[in-house]
Amino acid sequence: MRNARVRLIGAGLALGALLTAFPFVWMVFTSLKPLNEARTYPPKILPSTVEWGSYLTLFRELDFGRYTVNTIIVVMVGFIGMFFMAMAGYGFAKFEFRGRRAMFLLVLTTLMIPVQVTLIPTYLILNSVGLTNTVVGIAMPTLVSAFGIFLFRQFMETLPTEILDAARLDGAGEFRIFLSVALPMSTPILAVMTILTFIAGWNSFIWPLVIAGQQENYTLSVGLALLNQQVSINPALQMAGASLMVIPTIVLFVLLQRHIVQGFTMSGIN
Amino acid sequence: MRLTNWRPLTTALAVMLVLTACGGVSESENSTESTTPVTSATTDASVTETTQGVVSGTTDGLAGTTLNFWIMGDTATAFEELVSGFTAETGINVKVDAIPWDAVNDRLTTAVASGEGPDVTQIGLSLLPTFIAGEALMDVSDLVGDYPNLTAASFPSDIMATLNPGGATYSFPWVSDTRVLFYRSDILGDAGFSEPPATWDELLKMASVLADRGSTKYGYYIPQWDAPLPVAYTWQAGGDVIAADGSIDLDTPEFRDAVDHYLAFYDAGVVPTAGDWDQALGFITGDAPMLVSGPYLAGAINDQAPELEGSWGVTMVPTGVNNTSLFAGSNVGVWSGSENPEAALALIDYLARPETQLAWYAAVNELPAVSAALEELKAGDDAMVAVYAAQLANSRLLPLDPAWDAVGQEILTMLNSVALTGADKGQALADLFDSVARIVEG
Amino acid sequence: MGVLGRQEVTTAAVPARPTHHEPGSTNTSRKQRISAATKSLTPYGFVAPSFLFLLAFGILPIVVAAVVSFTDLDITGLANPDNISYIGLENYRRLISDSDFWRSLQTTGIFIVFGVPSIIVISLTIALGLSVSSSRLFRVLRMFYFLPAITAIVAISLIWGFMYNTQFGLLNYLLTSIGSSPINWLSDPQMAKVSVAIVAIWRATGLNIIIFLAAIQSIPRDYYEAAAIDGATGWASFRWITFPLLRFALLFVTVTTLIAWLQFFDEPFVLTDGGPVGATTSISLFIYQEGFSFNRFGYASAGTVVLFLIIVTVTAFQLRLYRSNHA
Repeated sequence: MRNARVRLIGAGLALGALLTAFPFVWMVFTSLKPLNEARTYPPKILPSTVEWGSYLTLFRELDFGRYTVNTIIVVMVGFIGMFFMAMAGYGFAKFEFRGRRAMFLLVLTTLMIPVQVTLIPTYLILNSVGLTNTVVGIAMPTLVSAFGIFLFRQFMETLPTEILDAARLDGAGEFRIFLSVALPMSTPILAVMTILTFIAGWNSFIWPLVIAGQQENYTLSVGLALLNQQVSINPALQMAGASLMVIPTIVLFVLLQRHIVQGFTMSGIN
Repeated sequence: MRLTNWRPLTTALAVMLVLTACGGVSESENSTESTTPVTSATTDASVTETTQGVVSGTTDGLAGTTLNFWIMGDTATAFEELVSGFTAETGINVKVDAIPWDAVNDRLTTAVASGEGPDVTQIGLSLLPTFIAGEALMDVSDLVGDYPNLTAASFPSDIMATLNPGGATYSFPWVSDTRVLFYRSDILGDAGFSEPPATWDELLKMASVLADRGSTKYGYYIPQWDAPLPVAYTWQAGGDVIAADGSIDLDTPEFRDAVDHYLAFYDAGVVPTAGDWDQALGFITGDAPMLVSGPYLAGAINDQAPELEGSWGVTMVPTGVNNTSLFAGSNVGVWSGSENPEAALALIDYLARPETQLAWYAAVNELPAVSAALEELKAGDDAMVAVYAAQLANSRLLPLDPAWDAVGQEILTMLNSVALTGADKGQALADLFDSVARIVEG
Repeated sequence: MGVLGRQEVTTAAVPARPTHHEPGSTNTSRKQRISAATKSLTPYGFVAPSFLFLLAFGILPIVVAAVVSFTDLDITGLANPDNISYIGLENYRRLISDSDFWRSLQTTGIFIVFGVPSIIVISLTIALGLSVSSSRLFRVLRMFYFLPAITAIVAISLIWGFMYNTQFGLLNYLLTSIGSSPINWLSDPQMAKVSVAIVAIWRATGLNIIIFLAAIQSIPRDYYEAAAIDGATGWASFRWITFPLLRFALLFVTVTTLIAWLQFFDEPFVLTDGGPVGATTSISLFIYQEGFSFNRFGYASAGTVVLFLIIVTVTAFQLRLYRSNHA
């Protein structure tokens, strides 16, 4: 009886999963169609012939190769931020210090600030340190997130203090303990944060748009926005660009997914 | 720390707000300070240039410099080809940055705030007042004499004076744009019409007949985002949106006529109500076989449906009291912070050469802004160009007022609220006049 | 919602309660934390880099916005500070009398009223379903549900804009092929709210499903076994075991979802630009448009401050409610 129930739920979930994922299937199929077929009505689900032309256009005519490289740089810089967040999470979790409570509150307050509407002040701040019009600058406003610090702290509170103290007795420095004891014990949360950091950098849109300045600094999101024209749209080209953005995140997610629920479970949001 | 204890959170917030409010003043001063030197440096630079006296418009000694150029929309690739000739001639490199149309405002704002813009930028005419108000453009009056293609006489009538208020020289016309009526002669013919509509009434009647072809067929198309359209209707009704004293005034019989004309198509159900309607596709499939659009649409049709050649045409916009259309297009200007104004002007001069203008038309179907190029184009045997040229001669600019953008949006909102949600027209008009009054007073 | 930059993360972020330990155990863990390094500068060294970044890009901008909200800063002021003048509370006064502002508040309210329960019910239902088995199939299904959450908003806007399209969109084709009449998904003012919300819900459920799933899986099995012995299964065991033990996860998801809807921006920004006729203009979008489309930065900053205060108030209120129910 229990098996029948599980099967029924499984079938329902499978249906929901297909509905959820369908837009992506539609995206990939459309990206492989020639233009007139992508806009025919009634629409055809499968392309009549597989055409890679839209992808070639992206790279040959539209500089998507460069946008991809820039996006990867933004993601790499993002991982420096992830390291900072891990440090902060560890600091908040494993040390008692003056102002800890207030500082942590302030960290959480930043979650409540509506970001898109403070663009100009943020831009001016970046500009005053000379980071506008650079790829590195694009990653700055989102480098550190309160959510990430929160997750790291939640997880690292569960690390046994005895092991850290043992390392201290062995004469290891605090930073060394963090690097070689605390971090290796934090794989699940690192997996969660890896995917979150990756998608934050890979998908970011407003900041590249505002900060990139020159086209050579554009990221994939901005390049994709350039494909959206008012007079006439080319769905095949747009969907090819969208596929180019979406598929790498899916691959990374599939690789890391078994750690992700575990990471959230152990960070104690329950 | 426990979440359940919320008091520290609010206290911390209150304290923070108070403390940082004090610190904040100096911060904002700092950030504005950082922009000040840039602005003054700019003025200094241009002053130095002029006192040194630029010998001529030649580009000697400028080879190897690189100019940044902002272009709007998706024509960057074509533009790079266009200026390759300039680089070959002068040795000045041009780096082109495409700005998505949707992002122009954000980019302008941040560039003005930081003082870091390109060297040369394309400026859509509707944004020109904002660019000038933001001091984004350099007054090149003292330099421009050395560039033969940039004299006021190169451009039609007094357009230079109109677009450059106060005797300054901020920018130069680059491409012209006007709106004409596109129609599918084959579909009109099948419905028994041998000629396109010439008047407002004919347009509405023919559109109604064409819309009866089927449930997914329409007679006409009105872009819901097209803010200049109701203004053009007002002109065609014999009126204006600017009163004699120069202020924005919509409370006129002619504006009401324009509103009625706009809404009549929705009342009759002959236009698509979809906001995401693709006008090129709708025209090619024949679902919306008539619409008012610009020459760029002709380019899109030729690209996407060359087989339609001969079954469509363009003509002057239908007449209400007259058939005035919109004069739009883009200028190019030197950014106020540019360190290479001579090289920038050399590029603009190159862009204003008749042959460059014609090459650009051939590449992307954007009409020349330079008289000589337009004349040459007219002399060709392209019937469509003749229509464009005739309509250009009978077209007007939108008000050059920084507040106009917001007013234009309010007009659209008002019209669409009646057309799409069935709001009461009288009330919607009254609301519109209110909000325009608020916008105008700032 | 909210997948621009730091926004991303706010979809699931929450003011913290560290663990769900009882008060006693919190004390023990505190004692454990105290170590030889207590008095050194070490902890500040760990916290400082992140903290400085949050100050610079989180706190400072809102402070600047607060200051700017008392001025008439526009594009001429950005170009030349001489053009800025202090106008006191004028921006706030105008905001209160601006019908567009109230309308955007109302629109945001509608999104919240329908959006928050939808997201919670859908994510919780799916999470409960996914938790009944740990077979390979269920683990694969879990991935599908998470996909929308990791997709770039620009890609989402293109994909959904394409499916919603009136002329050649798939959805209208499906509707007409089952004999129904086509829908103006993004052009009818009522429908556009629904269409935009569908995309937001589609995108927001993934992360919340994971959070619920993690919480459900950490409930010890033997609770259910004990309950089953007493005859409580199905609904009863959900009502009396699962639900109470999920209360912190529920709070977390509610708070973060509410904040995300209050900051709702991305979907209407890319899909409808707030239209048609302002029907999908949320507060964030209203502020953004005032700032960037019309260059009224002082005015937009006043809106920013008001929105921030609303979010703080709503969040504090929720936390208080939670405490009075569960203290």
